[in-house]
Amino acid sequence: MTEIVMRNLGKDFGGFTALADMDLTIGSGEFVALLGPSGCGKSTTMNMIAGMLDPTHGEIRFDGRMMNGVPMAKRGVGFVFQNYAIFTHMTVRDNLAYGLRARGVAKPEIARRVGDIADLLQLTPLLDRKAARLSVNILQRLAIGRSAVVEPAIFLLDEPLSNVDAAFRAVMRSELKALQRQFRQTMVYVTHDQLEAMTMADRIAVMDHGKLLQVGTPLEVYNHPVDTFVARFIGAPGMNLLAGRVTSADTGLTVDLGAAGHCPIQAGQGGEVLFGFRPEEVHPDPKGPMEMTVTTVERIGARTILHLAAGSHAAKVVLDSETAVPDQGEAFRFSVSPGAVRLFDPQTERAL
Amino acid sequence: MTDMTTQQLGAAERHADTALHEGAEERRLGLWLTLPAQLLVIFIALFPILMQVYISLTDWSPLDGIPWYRAYELWIGLLNYVDLANDPRFWSALWRTCIVMAICVPVQFLLGLGLAILFVDDFPGRRVLYSTILVPMMVVPAVAGYMFFMLFQSGGPVNDILSFFAGRPVTIAWLSDPDLALFATIVSDIWQWTPLMFLILLAGMVSVPQDQQMAAILLGASWWRRFWTIVLPRMKTIIIIALAIRLIENFKVFDNFYIMTGGGPGVATETISIYIYKVTQQELIWGYVAAIALAILIVLSIVSALAIKKLRSVQ
Repeated sequence: MTEIVMRNLGKDFGGFTALADMDLTIGSGEFVALLGPSGCGKSTTMNMIAGMLDPTHGEIRFDGRMMNGVPMAKRGVGFVFQNYAIFTHMTVRDNLAYGLRARGVAKPEIARRVGDIADLLQLTPLLDRKAARLSVNILQRLAIGRSAVVEPAIFLLDEPLSNVDAAFRAVMRSELKALQRQFRQTMVYVTHDQLEAMTMADRIAVMDHGKLLQVGTPLEVYNHPVDTFVARFIGAPGMNLLAGRVTSADTGLTVDLGAAGHCPIQAGQGGEVLFGFRPEEVHPDPKGPMEMTVTTVERIGARTILHLAAGSHAAKVVLDSETAVPDQGEAFRFSVSPGAVRLFDPQTERAL
Repeated sequence: MTDMTTQQLGAAERHADTALHEGAEERRLGLWLTLPAQLLVIFIALFPILMQVYISLTDWSPLDGIPWYRAYELWIGLLNYVDLANDPRFWSALWRTCIVMAICVPVQFLLGLGLAILFVDDFPGRRVLYSTILVPMMVVPAVAGYMFFMLFQSGGPVNDILSFFAGRPVTIAWLSDPDLALFATIVSDIWQWTPLMFLILLAGMVSVPQDQQMAAILLGASWWRRFWTIVLPRMKTIIIIALAIRLIENFKVFDNFYIMTGGGPGVATETISIYIYKVTQQELIWGYVAAIALAILIVLSIVSALAIKKLRSVQ
């Protein structure tokens, strides 16, 4: 259990800035997901925490101890690689014992600790099997066990679910979360899948183009995105953003959305805005103030996704499959409750 | 319902039967169609060996004036093999070749492995050095033989360098002292063939997955531990291949030895190939040569078979 503090952390590769001025504190025992599209700097950040890369500037501290320049073997960091990096020429037991042997732990102690971790991860029946022909979920558990057995203070996971098919990913997500509760280590998890981040992490750090955009609990990030990138990236589908204009009338403030109608809001100043609302926050309402044309109806089981258009606006709406929905080409009238509206500055794209 | 199932099953069985029948027929046709090619391959591969077996059972020599296919007129059965078993020069050449192999191959392996370790990570000038190291391998073995023939002359550069360090004139007769001559020829072989070992081993070392090494480092493994537990085990296959190639090639060593010493002084550097060459060209007893060649083929086949078996068990 270790607190990780990154201050003004940055990494340049030649002229390319992979990470710029990152300030992030990861609490002891916390599960933080670094989330962003590929090339956003999340893996660079993780590799610097592990010590595989040296930062260009800034510092990393574990529990106050300066880590810059400390070789990776001495950092006490467990790392689960994207492809698990299992020693396939060894047995499961030798894989699990590897770190303990490297540290010169006594044989009976190694046997005991390998036995314990194998029990915990349900690997006991496989201990004497060669690691070469194990299934992906067992390889993943083995990778976690191999790192966990030396009791690292920090656990880093680099997209461990990206090699797994979608159906299996759901199983692994809950398995990983359960393991984290058992180990209680500080965990940093790199992913480009917002669903993984939302379901597992205590806090999410959203990154793009080498910049840390927002840090917060999954719900904070979902409900109060700091800018349009986060708003679009989090959620499936992401937040709708329509260009509009705040006007005040006797009845209160509204956003004029032109062809799509208008929507009352709680607060805001006059002027151009980006009007944001979650696809899930839409109420079908025959007398509603907004109207758009249905371009596509996607039925995906429990939910139905409507693709809407009006003038230059485009939006998506998620409804229960029981809700009656208009057909393609028909008009869809709806309202968005004022509390669910998020406004962004069209120039800076930051939340207002 | 049951009836229908039975009927369906019956139909399925009949269908399977026909399929099986057709399959067998197709295979037979395939055999006929490929037979000429297969015979050709067998002929090309086996003819020289069969001819050798045939000649080795005779006392045939090209000087006898009898064409090779009438060599049976000089049939002597296994006498060549009996002679071979009692030929001290053959056994000493075989023994000497084994000594050469026992020194050359391990030294080449260790040097090649050491160089591969140095070259596996990048450093300034790596590419230039890498190409330089490979040069000896490209040199024609006969030319390499001449180079070392000159280097080891009693007035040659090797003695000059030794003189410089010793501070007095050194005039070692490298190529005319029986022990030193073998040493000098072995040095030339090591010089020429370490690069090949290096090339193969480096290729194997580079292919060891980087992330596995990273994982081992993160688990606290020292360089030595990583080398012994990750790098070497992962290179097992390529190491066996490299050793097998060099053992077989080294067994046939000829060019540089022959040019440096001609197998001498006396028979001090006479390897099995030089021995065969001398018997063929100088004594022209080809039936006997065929017997030697077959004996060696059998030895090499056993070595290769063992290597292949080892490879299979590794994989």
